[in-house]
Amino acid sequence: MTDAPVSKIRNFSIVAHIDHGKSTLADRLLQDTGTVEDRKMKEQFLDNMDLERERGITIKLQAARMNYKAENGDNYVLNLIDTPGHVDFSYEVSRSLAACEGALLVVDASQGVEAQTLANVYLALENDLEIIPVLNKIDLPGAEPEQVIQEIEEVIGLDCSNAIMASAKTGIGIPEILESIVQQVPPPVDTVEDPLRALIFDSYYDSYRGVIVYFRVMDGTLKKGDRVKLMASGQEYEIDELGVLAPTEKQVGQLHAGEVGYFSASIKSVEDARVGDTVTMARKPATEPLPGYTEAKPMVFCGLFPTDADQFTELREALERLKLNDAALSFEPETSSAMGFGFRCGFLGLLHMEIVQERLEREYNLDLIATAPSVVYRVTTVEGEVSYIDNPSALPDPQYREKIEEPYVQVDMITPEEFVGTLMELGQSRRGIFKDMRYLTKGRTTLVYEIPLAEVVTDFFDQLKSRSRGYASMEYQFLDYRADKLVRLDVMINADRVDSLAAIVHQDKAYHVGRALVTKLKELIPRHQFKIPIQAGIGSRIVASAQIPALRKDVLAKCYGGDISRKKKLLKKQAKGKKRMKSIGTVDVPQSAFMAVLQLKPEG
Amino acid sequence: MSTIISLPASAARPVISPVPQAAYLHIPFCRRRCHYCDFAIAVTGEFVSEKDKTSPKKTPVDGSNSDRIRRYVDALIQEIIQGATAASSADPSTLPSLNTIFFGGGTPSLLSVEQFERILQALDRRFAIATDAEISMEMDPGTFNRDKLAGFLDLGLNRISLGVQAFQDSLLEACGRLHRRRDVDRAIAMLDDFGVTNWSLDLITGLPHQTEEHWRESLDLAIAANPAHLSVYDLTVEPGTVFGYRYEPGEFPLPSEAIATDLYRHAHGALTGAGYDHYEISNYAKPGHRSRHNLVYWRNDPYYAFGMAATSYVNRCRFSRPRTPHDYAAWVAAGGEISGETVDPVDEWLETLMVGLRLSNGVDLKNLAQQFGNKPVRALVELLQSYKKQGLVTMGNGAIALTSPDGFLVSNDVLSTIFERWIDEDQL
Repeated sequence: MTDAPVSKIRNFSIVAHIDHGKSTLADRLLQDTGTVEDRKMKEQFLDNMDLERERGITIKLQAARMNYKAENGDNYVLNLIDTPGHVDFSYEVSRSLAACEGALLVVDASQGVEAQTLANVYLALENDLEIIPVLNKIDLPGAEPEQVIQEIEEVIGLDCSNAIMASAKTGIGIPEILESIVQQVPPPVDTVEDPLRALIFDSYYDSYRGVIVYFRVMDGTLKKGDRVKLMASGQEYEIDELGVLAPTEKQVGQLHAGEVGYFSASIKSVEDARVGDTVTMARKPATEPLPGYTEAKPMVFCGLFPTDADQFTELREALERLKLNDAALSFEPETSSAMGFGFRCGFLGLLHMEIVQERLEREYNLDLIATAPSVVYRVTTVEGEVSYIDNPSALPDPQYREKIEEPYVQVDMITPEEFVGTLMELGQSRRGIFKDMRYLTKGRTTLVYEIPLAEVVTDFFDQLKSRSRGYASMEYQFLDYRADKLVRLDVMINADRVDSLAAIVHQDKAYHVGRALVTKLKELIPRHQFKIPIQAGIGSRIVASAQIPALRKDVLAKCYGGDISRKKKLLKKQAKGKKRMKSIGTVDVPQSAFMAVLQLKPEG
Repeated sequence: MSTIISLPASAARPVISPVPQAAYLHIPFCRRRCHYCDFAIAVTGEFVSEKDKTSPKKTPVDGSNSDRIRRYVDALIQEIIQGATAASSADPSTLPSLNTIFFGGGTPSLLSVEQFERILQALDRRFAIATDAEISMEMDPGTFNRDKLAGFLDLGLNRISLGVQAFQDSLLEACGRLHRRRDVDRAIAMLDDFGVTNWSLDLITGLPHQTEEHWRESLDLAIAANPAHLSVYDLTVEPGTVFGYRYEPGEFPLPSEAIATDLYRHAHGALTGAGYDHYEISNYAKPGHRSRHNLVYWRNDPYYAFGMAATSYVNRCRFSRPRTPHDYAAWVAAGGEISGETVDPVDEWLETLMVGLRLSNGVDLKNLAQQFGNKPVRALVELLQSYKKQGLVTMGNGAIALTSPDGFLVSNDVLSTIFERWIDEDQL
């Protein structure tokens, strides 16, 4: 099965928005080509993780090899390379797409193009893929294929004259799709004789075999037992096992240019076989690696603390295990006077963060407190040294800083026309720079803003959804770092600065954020025998303050036989407000106050 | 291992709870409900007999009262006699006699002499009343006359708690009281005439529109009346009361927290200066005149209770009776079964501290260690060090106590810190 001639191989992926039917379509292709027998068919075969299955989204990509006898009588090998649907993982998507020659663009015929689809389609176009438009769910009563075709043509500028009308659920259009993959997607370039170069597009850690690497051979041939070198990491390994995914693993002796497969080589961590790296021969290596390798860098940070301090070790072990499989996840221990021992974790984006948190809680049974997400700032000192800072308390004092820069992202929103006004307000309120607005069909509009990532990570998505009653969709991608009037907002409790409550904010928002911080703290810190001033300030300038009055009298006047149960309840309630107090100077601050502040989100 | 008291940590907690020697009797009837009151009471109106509903008239204080009270007293006596409440299945003849009996309300002075007699007889038959027993009753000015007082005293009443509350008619009216200054003066004169010295005078601070001048005057008059005991309650605005609807604590016309604190401190200064011992957060006594019955609560000892809404604490079980006369009578008729969970060791520990720290004597460490073991006692001493440094807690003479008045004033802060330490523990 491995000696398919290069001209009979077709490598493709599916680009679609969540819920538009990508997984169902993939399942249907596996079934119709006989790759998976009907009786073995689990629903949505490609989505392996429970979490993915539950949310109906694909997080980690997988691949599947199908044999297909075309109408012309020839046998073809179709490799479907699945991609994650979310731009948090856009780098991984881009590497998967780089392993293909074509892509199916799947759009729900009743919903139209969504922001996520757009972002991934542009990635596919950048990789010069042949794109086949597929209108899915054509059988649904609300389907409006004509409108949607018009939308695709206008927004993406794609010729839709050959668009396929399909229903993955009922099987409509599936033969047409298979046939057009063979007809329209070009075969790989035959470079079997060149020195080996294989592109890693995914990897995962297996506790028995080490890292399993998914790759596409771009040039040359790879055999079991070959000694290979990873060009970016410089490490050398011997191929222990080589195979294809059909879609379960099937071992083979060799794979040549154009083919897709997996290998294991006793690699200890996915960090050592990063997505985008090039596999070549240890002896006679290729002169140039494949283009496009970068290390995915965390963009969004948050602190994760176990609610139960005893779970710290378990949390560390869980993070280490997740890290084996997730090179983009970063973490380092953090000690907070308020929250105790935990980790400061870095993620590719908000969805990545949410997924990691959920896996920690669900798969590792951890009970976690997460601080509000923050971003990485680029700080230049007066000496001209550049550093990246994700923890506000590490920010040098103003006199040592030349400038602070923050990451900006491009936010693409697609929304029904009627919500344009409120979404523009949202964009403006988040320091957004308006870039573009275009009317699509049927009163649908795209809005493009450039917004600081810090403003996007704090409930921008929730705001977008609530302001548009759920109709708008959005996507964002990293643009660049830009200097801004950013300041460190400190919080002082009884004149003691509390590092763990410091925040980096835009100067114009400092008052607003400071106000919210001191108000929340005043609410949650119990009264003491003395007055407690709470202040928020920039350097020596106070922007907001509040005062907790001294406790003069807190006493139950009567406590006789009939009062005891009720008074006990009152005291228990009062005691709950004092749970896990930490001393800031002479002031006892309950953990609930820290948690509330660290999870505080600015109003939209 | 350094120990405070040399007992094994696991000693503690006798398996069998001591048998009560105190009894509380609830007489829920009031002529009307005061504006601050959220007790379980039954309002009778200004005394009307069942036969004479159409022409309300002022209460006759000489003993005749309504059918409702008669029916209630019957149920109360039945509860005492049928004895399910006495909890222990022990033979009644072996039960220890009662050392203290307290008639609370409501307005127990609305009872007739004959009703009072029947209740005492029932108690004596069921438990035996010790010869030196303290028998107390809450009596409101304007609800008893010389004959009634004479009758009660003859039957053995030896301690009277007089519900004066304030000496100013405007304040009495504002809190919905029916009696006035002249009723107070008459009642005090009557007690003097009968040679009653063991009596207590109730006052309330923090009433709406109450000024510091009012308060000084009330204290002066109270001291002049020379009671053996005084209770001074800082007004608590309870939800569901007239005050609860009308006022916000700390806001006009209620005094600010600062002024209410001053009133409390002023009472402490004036009364201790006049020879009263500030022995409990809200109570003052001349030497030898602390309320023996109430000390039972504050030492977290067991006690019987009889009557509507009354709470008993027997065999480590707190049980509250039905809260209306009708439901109560039905419950008694059905056998008066006591049910409920027993207080677990952690809760017993917290309750013991909650009530014990109300006393200026505080809680005795040796007793605590005997009952609960050394471990929690050590933790408690450790926990309260910062309060000790602030002068709110003392730890001398083998006892932990709140200071008076500073520690008393913020007792909830100290107690909630103690609660926080043990609230989530399964065991001590």
